[in-house]
Amino acid sequence: MLSLLIWLPIVGAALIGFTPGDVPARRARLGAVAIAGFLFLWTLWLLTQFNLSTAGPQLVEYLPWIQTLGLSYSLGIDGLSLPLVALTNLLVLVVVFSSDFAGQDAKPLQRPRLFYSLVLLISSGMAGALLAQNLLLFFLFYELELIPFYLLLVIWGGQRRDYAGMKFLIYTAVSGILILAAFLALNWLTGASSFDYDAIATEGLSQRTQLILLTVMLIGFGIKIPLVPLHTWLPDAYVEASTPTAILLGGVLAKLGTYGLVRFCLGLFPETWSLVSPGLSIIAAVCVLYGAMAAIAQKDIKRMVAYSSIGHMGYVLLGTAALTPLAMVGVVAQMVSHGLILALLFYLVGVVEAKVGTRELDVLNGLLNPIRGLPMTSALLILAGMASAGIPGMSGFIAEFLVFQGSFSTFPIPTLFCVVGTGLTAVYFVILL
Amino acid sequence: MNTAATATKIPPSQHPYANIIYRLEAGGAMLPDTPENLMQIIGLYKAYAVPMDFYWRDLLYIAEQVFLDPLPFFKYFIPKEYLERHNHYAGDDADLRIWRGEATAHPELLEFIEKGELKMKLPRIFHHWWHDRINMEFAEECMRSMLWHRGMSTSVNQFDSYLDSDEYKANADRAIRAYFKGNPLMLGLHNAFPELFLEQCRQMSYYSNLGLFWEVMAPVFFEMSDLYDEGKIASVPDAMNFLVNGIFAIAGRPIYHHVYIRGECYEIIPKSKGFTWLYEAALPYVEAVFYRTSPFRGTKSYNAQAGQVPDDQKDFHYGVLYADKFPVGTAGIPPTLLAQDMLHFLPQYLVDYYQQYCRGEDDMLIQLAVSFQRSMYCVTSAVIQALRTALLYPLDDPNPKHLKANRAFFEAQMDRFLRPEARLRDIQNQNYR
Repeated sequence: MLSLLIWLPIVGAALIGFTPGDVPARRARLGAVAIAGFLFLWTLWLLTQFNLSTAGPQLVEYLPWIQTLGLSYSLGIDGLSLPLVALTNLLVLVVVFSSDFAGQDAKPLQRPRLFYSLVLLISSGMAGALLAQNLLLFFLFYELELIPFYLLLVIWGGQRRDYAGMKFLIYTAVSGILILAAFLALNWLTGASSFDYDAIATEGLSQRTQLILLTVMLIGFGIKIPLVPLHTWLPDAYVEASTPTAILLGGVLAKLGTYGLVRFCLGLFPETWSLVSPGLSIIAAVCVLYGAMAAIAQKDIKRMVAYSSIGHMGYVLLGTAALTPLAMVGVVAQMVSHGLILALLFYLVGVVEAKVGTRELDVLNGLLNPIRGLPMTSALLILAGMASAGIPGMSGFIAEFLVFQGSFSTFPIPTLFCVVGTGLTAVYFVILL
Repeated sequence: MNTAATATKIPPSQHPYANIIYRLEAGGAMLPDTPENLMQIIGLYKAYAVPMDFYWRDLLYIAEQVFLDPLPFFKYFIPKEYLERHNHYAGDDADLRIWRGEATAHPELLEFIEKGELKMKLPRIFHHWWHDRINMEFAEECMRSMLWHRGMSTSVNQFDSYLDSDEYKANADRAIRAYFKGNPLMLGLHNAFPELFLEQCRQMSYYSNLGLFWEVMAPVFFEMSDLYDEGKIASVPDAMNFLVNGIFAIAGRPIYHHVYIRGECYEIIPKSKGFTWLYEAALPYVEAVFYRTSPFRGTKSYNAQAGQVPDDQKDFHYGVLYADKFPVGTAGIPPTLLAQDMLHFLPQYLVDYYQQYCRGEDDMLIQLAVSFQRSMYCVTSAVIQALRTALLYPLDDPNPKHLKANRAFFEAQMDRFLRPEARLRDIQNQNYR
């Protein structure tokens, strides 16, 4: 059942990618929409199959693969990965459906077959990484994301796409190397028989070894999330990416970092976590404040949204560091909420750019005018900005409030700084609007 | 009568609008003579004339019948006799036949009153509640702007100073007492605060004034539209000259205020006072509505500290010649009311024309508002030429001194458009739409 989420998009990508060029692009789009739509429906069906009262992975699938390497095809889904899988498939559907802005004044999508197959590959990679119960398998899918995203960036991106794409590629490759190194070390040092998640237990390791491994892994995932000193690829990549790519990057790829953080850093080193968590909570507060202040300084609306993403990932880190049950619920809620809000924001910014032809804050004005402006887009932009800033009644508020409520007892000061950060988020969204 | 002839007789103008001044000296209008401009201005005269046919009838109905009704709930529901009231400048029994059509209300107007936008026969109150109606508030706003800019040109304006005379007060007092006869509450109020109803009565006199002004303009515009359809108006100067001739033909028509109370006529401003159309209605109207009016609530801040609104009424520059038409349809922009009225009565050729530009049907309201601005520049040109004819010398005068006087007059008129808000420069360009 879970395998379908991985293999259907791969088969679809191959079919669409290798259809002969004389098949009209509309067919390719139709096929991609059909596949993405089916995947989304399939996830919804999985939701109904999910048993909320049991812990641990469900709907498990296990196949031995390369036993000498300890690699097995082991899938499972739990309360952490399920909402993220649902989010991924929803966003992939949105992206595939909306990628062709072939309106009157927008250019039609170039090279549609390649585009759709890359997006489907990403969908497959995301599902694989979220479902994998084997560390090496996770790493395979993690790396599988890299190339399609790089291609999406450099083929359909903006003016400085080469620079942004290369930066993204190098950063994420380094991230992959660090994660692989940590995984290998874990396997060797613990003497586990395979890379299966269950087989690895860190109790036997000395605290110092655990700390080193955890740090390496934190940096690896921290690049992807991204945490503040490791974030510099993000503004370039998000800004140079075309709208659908930006939706995928922000909504989907960032979740892979936080997912790895929770699943592997936290899941594999429960004892050592308490050593690093105070530091992480401070980094979280720095992320939130830095993201907000950097966003305030921007003159390009897409860049603002990109920095808002950094800020919002800070909440996830804060909740993860605090590790209360409430905060962990908040973390998952924040991941999903951020995915939805960021996708909406990037989409709307993309519409504005396509219609107006600029993203400059000083040039854009009067978009709410009901006749000559873009009233619907602007109204939605206001709502999305409110959601992002954590206005009650929207998902952003629920998630942030859960995180704050859960974290306050553990790290009161960083939590307070994060609350200030939401205030600043409201500031730059008001500037944007 | 041509530019070259004038230009050789007196030295070239140093005015920033020198080209427009040469055009005026050659007998042209302020807007360029192109078929596109002609089509727009005539089409808008037609679209304006139909609601105007309602405006003047209702204004006179309010001035003469509703009068001081403290709760005038039904003042926009004009009775049959006012719809059948004969316009003095149309029909067979006209005093001066300008329009060859019927003297009673225009058939398109009657159809609209009956069926509205809904194209459904409903009681008028339902059309009213559904806002499926003529925006009479716009006409009242014009009236109020004339009232509020009282004393604009005291040298020529007798009507306005008459409103402060003892004779007027006595006439008004008689009418007020007759109107409230048998109503001790209102009579008591009138005795306690004699200025209260007197000021309302002055407002009613301006209702009458504006109603009588538009009683002339509606048939003029209808006739121009008919002549254009017959091909007898072939250029913008033709249209302007028709207006100039109309102005002189009608200049001496009486302006008065009669009130009908229980079948008896009270002459608050009797015809015998000899107030005439040109000096007491047309010129104050042009000054008050085309040039001044009052700042739009949605455009300017009335904050006294901000100092955005001039202290002096003569510096007001918010009339149709200065108005920004792009925010039409937005909150706080009064001309929207008129634009919506005109939208119902656009001739087909203009609908087809607007379909080809900007957003086609979606922003027709703004496109027609811009055309309306053009057409009002044509009317103002006619007024300027009429004033020049009345006060100064013919355009083909051989005496260079006379030509210089004309030149000085035109330059003084153009000086009023030197402020950046004036749309004179915009309407020179066909791409302003």
